[in-house]
Amino acid sequence: MKFKDYYEALGVERGATQDDIKKAYRKLARKYHPDVSKLADAEERFKEINEANEVLSDPEKRAAYDQMGQNYRAGQDFQPPPGWDAGFEFRGRGDGGGFEGYSTGGGADFDPSDFFEALFGRMRSGAAGGGARAGRAASGEDHHAKILIDLEDAYRGADRTITLRVPTVDAQGHVTLAERRLDVHIPRGIRAGQHLRLAGQGTPGFGGGPPGDLFLEIAFNPHTRYRVDGRDVYLDLPLAPWEAALGATVDVATPEGSVQLTVPPNSAAGRKLRLKGKGIPGPSPGDLYAVLTIALPPADAQRARDAYAAFAQAFPGYDPRR
Amino acid sequence: MTASPSQPVAGPVVEEEIHLTLVELCRVCRVPETQVRTWVGEGVLEPAGRAPEEWRFAGASLRRTRLASRLTRDLDLNPPGVALALELLDEIDELRARLRRVAGGGR
Repeated sequence: MKFKDYYEALGVERGATQDDIKKAYRKLARKYHPDVSKLADAEERFKEINEANEVLSDPEKRAAYDQMGQNYRAGQDFQPPPGWDAGFEFRGRGDGGGFEGYSTGGGADFDPSDFFEALFGRMRSGAAGGGARAGRAASGEDHHAKILIDLEDAYRGADRTITLRVPTVDAQGHVTLAERRLDVHIPRGIRAGQHLRLAGQGTPGFGGGPPGDLFLEIAFNPHTRYRVDGRDVYLDLPLAPWEAALGATVDVATPEGSVQLTVPPNSAAGRKLRLKGKGIPGPSPGDLYAVLTIALPPADAQRARDAYAAFAQAFPGYDPRR
Repeated sequence: MTASPSQPVAGPVVEEEIHLTLVELCRVCRVPETQVRTWVGEGVLEPAGRAPEEWRFAGASLRRTRLASRLTRDLDLNPPGVALALELLDEIDELRARLRRVAGGGR
């Protein structure tokens, strides 16, 4: 296990005041919050920042971390010395409130690093901690997770196996993350941002209460050819200049297979040709748009240069900037 | 809790097939009722129905409520701040969608 420098994660000095830490955390949280930021590593960074803040904003955890960490540097191999936390009271307290996983693995409410867990133990999630009073039936908690599917799955419907990490409480009251595999039916016509409700797939109930539900948020894997906007799907369709000018019938690959598309004469770049109802299917299906782009063949041979010259001569006085 | 391997679990699409009561929404999103009432007051959520007992939230409120709850918690936003952030995020989504509609856009 590698030592984590929580001060570095928040970009503050070791002597920073609690106010400095709060300020630094807020600033980074606004920047890397996965709901706000579109940076590729936002989720990962936010997790680090959150974990650092969890330790440094709590004077007791911070003191313990400082005491133990003074001889370590980020990335250095690390094992917590036995009894390092003697005299501190946080171990096993595990309120864990406020954390919720952003991991695409879903399931777990808080997904701390191994390093964090080695120091502060497993945090008890809300699922394990709250809710049930002794001797009373209570329903299990609902869980949330996000899954990535292919656009093609939304066109056809699909069965997918997902892996969730679920907090489980053992006999001693420790919380561990268990992996759970679940086969899920992805209905045809589902769109990004929508949720599936899987009844009874959340946390088991307490004292005979019913289990909670699992809510799966759908997102699409990025596709090299298609862009999705709600129900509508866009693709770029490159044309040769003569196809755009004279019109053509071209084969276009769509998520449902190849279709023939007629390009009208005098089509300009940027023109959108609509294939009605060929977007994401459903009671009111989306449309598929082919956005025309014009590709120029290179003038890298004498014949090609001659052809461009003849082209120019055929349009005397043509000025595309006017 | 375990699904048989031959029978994948299936369920309704929340946004299309489900309306939630105040109690259901709070349970699913793990937020207190007072919080949701405040957000309704700020226009963050727009349920059908007059009195809170009659409120019915469209499925899309699920995502919005969870988003509001995360922003409140992680960025310490107050309700007007959440309302503003959600409006700005909606606007950014709309602009991104517009970009996706033009050739080579949004990538």
